[in-house]
Amino acid sequence: MMVSLLLCTPLVFALFCASAPSNRWVGRLSLLGLGLVLIQVLDLSYGVIQNGPLDAGMWYIDDISVIFLLLMAVISFLVGIYALSYIGHELHEGVLTPRDSRFYHVFIQLFLFTMLLVLVVDSLGLMWIAIESTTLASAFLVGFYKKEESVEAAWKYIMICSVGIALALMGVTLMYASSLDVFGDSSRALDWSVLKGVAATLDPTLLKLSFIFIIAGYGTKAGLAPMHTWLPDAHSQAPSPVSAMMSALLLNCAMYGIIRFHVIIEAAVPCFSSSLLLGFGLVSVAVAALFISITTDLKRMLAYSSIEHMGIVAIAMGIGGTWGTVGAVIHIAAHSLTKSMLFLSAGDIVQKYGTRDIASITGVLKSIPWSGRFFTAGCLGIVGLPPFPIFLGEAIIVYAALQSGDFLVAALFLVLLLMVFVAFTYRFVPMLGGDSGLEPSPSPLSRLLPMGILLIMGLALGLVLPGPVLEFLQDVAAQIGGVL
Amino acid sequence: MTEIMMNSLNILAVGILLASLMAMTTPRMGQLIRIFTLQSLMLACMAALVGYHTGSEHLYIIASIIVLLKVFIIPRFLNYSIERIKVKRELEPLLGIPGSLLLSAAIVVLAYFVTEPVISLTEVITRNCLAISLAVTLIGLLLMITRRKAMTEVIGLLMMENGLFLAVISTSHGMPLIVEMGIFFDVLVAVIIMGMFAFRINETFETSDTSILKRLRY
Amino acid sequence: MDYSLFIITTLQFLALLVSAPAAVGLIRLLKARAQGRRGASLLQPYRDLRKLWRKDEQVSEDASWLFRVAPLISAASVILTASMLPVLHVTVLGPGSDMILAIYILMLARAILVLSSLEGGSVFGGMGGSRDSMISVLIEPALLLSIFSLAALAGSTELSSTAQFISQGGYLIIGPTLILAAASFCITTLAENARLPFDNPATHLELTMVHEAMVLEYSGRSLALMEYSSWLKLTVFITILVNGFLPWGISSTLDPLSLALAFVAFMFKLILALGLIALLESQMAKMRLFRLPNLLTTSFTLALLALMAFYIL
Repeated sequence: MMVSLLLCTPLVFALFCASAPSNRWVGRLSLLGLGLVLIQVLDLSYGVIQNGPLDAGMWYIDDISVIFLLLMAVISFLVGIYALSYIGHELHEGVLTPRDSRFYHVFIQLFLFTMLLVLVVDSLGLMWIAIESTTLASAFLVGFYKKEESVEAAWKYIMICSVGIALALMGVTLMYASSLDVFGDSSRALDWSVLKGVAATLDPTLLKLSFIFIIAGYGTKAGLAPMHTWLPDAHSQAPSPVSAMMSALLLNCAMYGIIRFHVIIEAAVPCFSSSLLLGFGLVSVAVAALFISITTDLKRMLAYSSIEHMGIVAIAMGIGGTWGTVGAVIHIAAHSLTKSMLFLSAGDIVQKYGTRDIASITGVLKSIPWSGRFFTAGCLGIVGLPPFPIFLGEAIIVYAALQSGDFLVAALFLVLLLMVFVAFTYRFVPMLGGDSGLEPSPSPLSRLLPMGILLIMGLALGLVLPGPVLEFLQDVAAQIGGVL
Repeated sequence: MTEIMMNSLNILAVGILLASLMAMTTPRMGQLIRIFTLQSLMLACMAALVGYHTGSEHLYIIASIIVLLKVFIIPRFLNYSIERIKVKRELEPLLGIPGSLLLSAAIVVLAYFVTEPVISLTEVITRNCLAISLAVTLIGLLLMITRRKAMTEVIGLLMMENGLFLAVISTSHGMPLIVEMGIFFDVLVAVIIMGMFAFRINETFETSDTSILKRLRY
Repeated sequence: MDYSLFIITTLQFLALLVSAPAAVGLIRLLKARAQGRRGASLLQPYRDLRKLWRKDEQVSEDASWLFRVAPLISAASVILTASMLPVLHVTVLGPGSDMILAIYILMLARAILVLSSLEGGSVFGGMGGSRDSMISVLIEPALLLSIFSLAALAGSTELSSTAQFISQGGYLIIGPTLILAAASFCITTLAENARLPFDNPATHLELTMVHEAMVLEYSGRSLALMEYSSWLKLTVFITILVNGFLPWGISSTLDPLSLALAFVAFMFKLILALGLIALLESQMAKMRLFRLPNLLTTSFTLALLALMAFYIL
């Protein structure tokens, strides 16, 4: 009941936004919707943390879902606040028409609905449908500006992700086929909560085939190399709030799908899915390191960094064990917080300078002081410097690797991280100092507030890591790794 | 399962595979859409036959939805799209037709090889259909990769979905109805959105040849 | 020695030989009717042969002994192949009915033809020969694979055993293997016998000739033999198609009733096949030379699938 209410909220608000009489109030209406979603998610999460998993018919929310849900609700609300000002500025500049801005808010609500759906359903089949819908809902957001590059990016996005999701459907089918032996033809045979229990009795060959398709399919959506080719285009051509949401939340949804499958298959066929995840993860980080060094577009660089971090999460899941999964969960949270803050501040920079070209952006700290500072903090955080949370995640992952004896993996991991660090720092530091010749203008509070909150949350995670939070994270990790 | 049933299912499955291969050989759009329609029709017949054999009515529902959606609505939409975009012929594919055909034959061999160790599917028909569905999916992917026109890529994706449906029907006698409905709906919306984007590409670039989408490099 | 069997097999062999020109005459008549003309009579090819037989021969000065010998070898090999086919009864007059042997004897005829096309010293001959070689290189794997599929299905490469096996196999034999192999063989028949869309048998334009270019230099009796051997080759291929892949009706006993039934079935299938060829030729245009590999690769893929379908299913 509560879950249905949660899901209906964005749908209803999409309807309101589409039919609102005046364009001026659409933005605030949409923000109200996002706020209501946040409140409901907080309420639900509190309930699940206190009382254990919520298993009601179609819906299944456990601790794993809760962490993703919390990230989603908080970040989309904060991005929504930012978007009001961002879209307002675009309207003012004449880049967008009022009708465009209304479309934006409608699609944001739909997009949020599909992402929430991914996280709350029990059946793997319904989860597939939801992930496919996220592609469809965000397609128009990616191709929002009607320029040539946006159309190209949107086309690549739709095509590559649809192919990936189609492959994932093969994986879901094979999983269903493997569970048929145990259940007969039952409609519960695709439910994750049920499958988790009988994981050990499922047919291993079918499960292995299934996971290959799943990682190829959902891995495309998550941005693992070599299926990542849509990601830099889509994340750079979309409007900045959308880029933030896609990078911080959509990739999480896809990774969520992979994690659900990984739990079941690891129980039945140990080490198979872990090795696949390790392989894809390492390749992703390597590819990201390479492209970060040569790309010239600011947002593309940030997108490649997303690929790198999704790779790191995959590596962490591949290493497994308690510490591996704790590291993965911390890294997911850290990446979402840091990357969204980065995209928001980068959006501000891009709007101010009028270009995304890294070489032509200099003197950021002078011309937009506060955004520039947030941007610096974000960059330092994303390359893994303490006291930012990504450092904590990476440290735990290295520790996990050493503890389980994967010395080669740990060594490779550190080398690749170093490469990314060097490449990224070399690109972003010149942007900070110097003089740009542009008039310094203060950014509105509505833009700075979300960035500030995200920074504080990130630092809290990285520096302080309150006790209950750590316990909760360990709970989540146990639930993921608990079937081991 | 009776001999006749097995035989007719085999013939239909091979027919679906043949349709994929025929799609590889034709450079014309109209013919491609007709081949896709034929393939979907054969898929619907298979669904109905399997439903008859296992006695589950929801396969009949699925068969009728396949006919409604993939034999009537989607081909009509595709024909409308190619008329609006004014694309009649495909350009020469990357590999050339003999090369694509030979690669497709290799894919079929590969598909049989990969599904060889799946032993828990005791009925022989199921293993054969799983291999064919994998082959059809991969050949659809090959179609998407080697062709350059936007609409051909959409049709390639639809053929991949056909292959997936074959897998669903043959291995699990149809997934829970709500999942199937969701998948159909997704496919329909996906095709419509892709059609809209194909229009946009045509409007923006004056051509629907996707090999010119090269602005975003590294 | 079983005389009645001997008589039957000799009769079926002679009937095949005699009816070859009529088969081509039928195709031409049907094409003419489809195009709205009255068309020449069914027996016109016989009259053509008689006319050619009486004419004088012109032999080029550059030609060697191969030029004289080629028509004889060509006709002889096709006649030999015709003797190896079961028409009404599953037994044959010739030395067994091994399909691979039959195919390669026909290939011998083709090879001799290509070599002789160079004899006249004219450009047309060489051009026709090179085009024909290109097509035959692509035909051979497809042809052999479809024959292999048939052989795998029936357990033997002898056409008589195949005909017997399939005709008595009931309708469950109609599976993917048989259908795919038959489809592949149909395409190969058209290719091997220089029918549309591979080659236009009625043209003498440089741009479109393949087979005609190779026999361009012949005249008189040699030309009669060449023409006859190509007509007989078409009939041989159609007989392999209807009696190898679709042999229902063929008789394995000497019972007069079953022989009559076999005769009716064979004539029906033969006329149907000829009618389909005529229909196809009136509808299609000749394909561009560089598009022919597409069609031939399709035939090859079908045959490959047929063979795979046999081993997997």
